Formats: sequence, C-alpha cells, structure tokens
Amino acid sequence: MFETATALALMQYGDSAYPAGGFAFSWGVEGLAADGLLDGQADLDAFIGEHLAFRWNCMDRPLLTRAHRADDPAAVAAIDRFAEASTPSAQMRDGSRRAGRALLGVSARLGGPLCVRYRALLSSDVRLGHLPVVQALVYRDAALDLRAAELVSGWTLVNGLVSAAVRLGVIGHVEAQQSLETARRALVDVLAEPLPDDLAPSSFTPLIDIAVSRGGSRAVRLFTT
Amino acid sequence: MNPLQRAAGSRIAAARVGIGGPVGSGKTALVERLIPALMARGVDLAIITNDLVTAEDAERIRRSGLIDPARVSAVEAGACPHTVIREDPTLNIEAADDLERRFPGVELILIESGGDNLASTFSRDLTDFWMFVIDVGGGDDIPRKRGPGVIRCDTLVINKTDLAPYVGVDLERMRQQALAVRDNRPVLLTNCRKGEGIDAVVSAIERDVLFRA
Repeated sequence: MFETATALALMQYGDSAYPAGGFAFSWGVEGLAADGLLDGQADLDAFIGEHLAFRWNCMDRPLLTRAHRADDPAAVAAIDRFAEASTPSAQMRDGSRRAGRALLGVSARLGGPLCVRYRALLSSDVRLGHLPVVQALVYRDAALDLRAAELVSGWTLVNGLVSAAVRLGVIGHVEAQQSLETARRALVDVLAEPLPDDLAPSSFTPLIDIAVSRGGSRAVRLFTT
Repeated sequence: MNPLQRAAGSRIAAARVGIGGPVGSGKTALVERLIPALMARGVDLAIITNDLVTAEDAERIRRSGLIDPARVSAVEAGACPHTVIREDPTLNIEAADDLERRFPGVELILIESGGDNLASTFSRDLTDFWMFVIDVGGGDDIPRKRGPGVIRCDTLVINKTDLAPYVGVDLERMRQQALAVRDNRPVLLTNCRKGEGIDAVVSAIERDVLFRA
C-alpha cells in the first residue's frame, strides 16, 4: 500500500482536472464513434481493454519504465526518440508529443527540476516530448516511485477515454462510472504482471491507430486525437 | 504572469491577449480586422484559434492573406471551449510558447476562444489582457445579465453596431448599461464588417498591453 502522502499525490496527478490538456485527446474514441464502431458502454469497455493491453502495457509502460530509470536528460531523449520512431501514425505521434509537452510545461512551471532541465531540450529537437516519457519525469519530480508512476499513467489514460466518451454522448455519466470500475479491474490485471527488463516497446492496435490517423481528414472534430 | 514579470527573464516575452465571447458575436471578424491594423502599426503578431468542432476559424485566417499562415495555430478544445482557456489552458500556453520559439521577435499573440456563453473567462495564467465580444443582435439585455465574461473582461466589445435599428436595440442605452455593470471599465463599439471602431481597440491594446505611448 502507498503511504498517505503518496496516495494523496496519486489522487492529485490522476485527477482528470489536473491541468495538462488531457481533455482534448480522445485517442481514437471520437474517430471510432464517428465511424459507428464504438457505440455504447460494451464497446467502450472493450476499446479501453484493447488500449490497456495492446498499447499502454506494451508501449507506454515500457517507455515510462525506461525513462523513469534513465540517468540523465540525454538518456531520456534517446528513449523519447525511440518513441517517435516506434509510432507509425503521424497523428498519434503528434498527439503524444502535444500531450507530453503540455504536461511537461505544467510541471516545469511548478519547478520540477527534471522537467525544467528536459524542457530546455525541446526547442532543439521537435521529436521530443512524448507523453509516457514525460510522465516518467513529472512523476519522478513528484517523488513517485515506478509503481506509482505506472498507476497514474494507466489511470489518466482510462479517465481520459471515459471522459471523452461522455462528452461525445457515447455513454452517460452513470455508465461512465461503471466503465471506470471495469477499467480499474483491467488495470489491476495488467499491472499484476511485471514487465521484463528487456521488453522492447511495441503496440498492435490497428483500429485505434487508423481512427486516430484519419482525424486530420475529418471535417468535424472536437478532439486533437 | 504579466508582461513585466515575463520581461524579467532573458528576453521580453510576447504579450498574450484573449478574445472570447458567444458563438457568432464576431470574434474571428474582429481578429481579421485587428491583424492588418496592428501590423500597420508595426506590431509583430501571431494568432491562436480554439475552434469548437472544426479548424474553420484557423483556416479562414490562414487563407485570408492577412498574415503568414505559419503564424496561425489551432488548438482543439475537446468539446470544452471554456476549459481550454480557463481551468486547463496548458494547450494554449504550449501553442503560444511554440509560436514564440518559432518567431522569436513576436510581440503579441491573439488567442481567440471557441464560441461559448456569457460565463466564459480567460485564465490569467494564459492571458495578460482579454476582451469579450458580444453583439447587438443578441439583444440589448446581454450586459444586464451580468455574465462573468461581460463583467470581468478587461475590455468589452459590442459588435455589429450597424444592426441596432433592425433589431430594436437602443445602442447608447446598451453601452451605458454595459458601463454600469462594469463599474465604468472600458466598453468599445465596433462594426467589424466595415472596420468601424477598430482603431479604438488597437489603441487600447497598444496602450494597455504593449505599453506604447
């Protein structure tokens, strides 16, 4: 269990109201809903499960882990560039960077030393700033250990997906709480399995990737991704 | 952070001016009038738009020929136009920081919010100064409703003054009521279609934001 101070920090950083621009990213919810492929709570629960198992757990989580263990900004930047190179969808890359840079900006303004140093690198390399890499720095600055950092990262993803679904009218507010409970169980299962140290980040979420990639061509769009 | 605080850093940061208001009140039209007017006075300028469901406003400004399209950034509001300018303005702040990185001499960034309601206000973390645009067509009772946008903005702009006789609005009474609910803080009248009143808005920005004489 976490100590009280850590638990409170988890609530703060995992709160959907934490000001890091998360409300503007649907990570495929909007696109799939627009194409009729996500309609109602059952679809949303399956979608979240796919995100957690086949993207967050095998892509974001190992990136976060590596960045959380990285010794210096240069090592973090190398992981960040790997994230860029490992994400084929331009819209997904752009979304990850925009979300990451927004989060990094908040933490830097709050004086997080790792974030301040890393933010200074961003202007020199447009490939830097991916969300899971930045999350590692932000949560290190907040004195969260890797386990806590994983928890917040996974939970903020789930919270963002459910929130987007509510705003798009895919589900109602009560169904949203049911979806969050389902997602909580899925996240517990995923986190119960430790990652092998040598696991190479990868993902396989073709429908989600296509939905996000088509975002730029949609005439009507509420979300960045 | 105000301009003086930011100026205490290694270089003078661009001033950030928010332009909010209800859907259809003329925010984009005001921006389109302000661009040439400010550029004519030598102001180095960039724009951010927060479209609600499309990039229409950003594209309209990019294609206007008034400004280098690279100086116009669009930020999606995720169905929450007030959130992106108030509770969580980080995406707009990052967009503004990015414009400053790409155009180091930029002095002024106009941030146009998505169409919202009378309760929308800008975070002081995002803007140094903000205007709220209402229009005569919305009715002369808008100021009396005392929405936070009307009350708290630095300058209230009442647009579409030319419509007053057609919608039964007593323009002078509307202006007086706006001044009354705002404790006589600035209220400016514009007709953006014809460019009327724009010079007064530009002068307010020069005087109160850019601190030019």
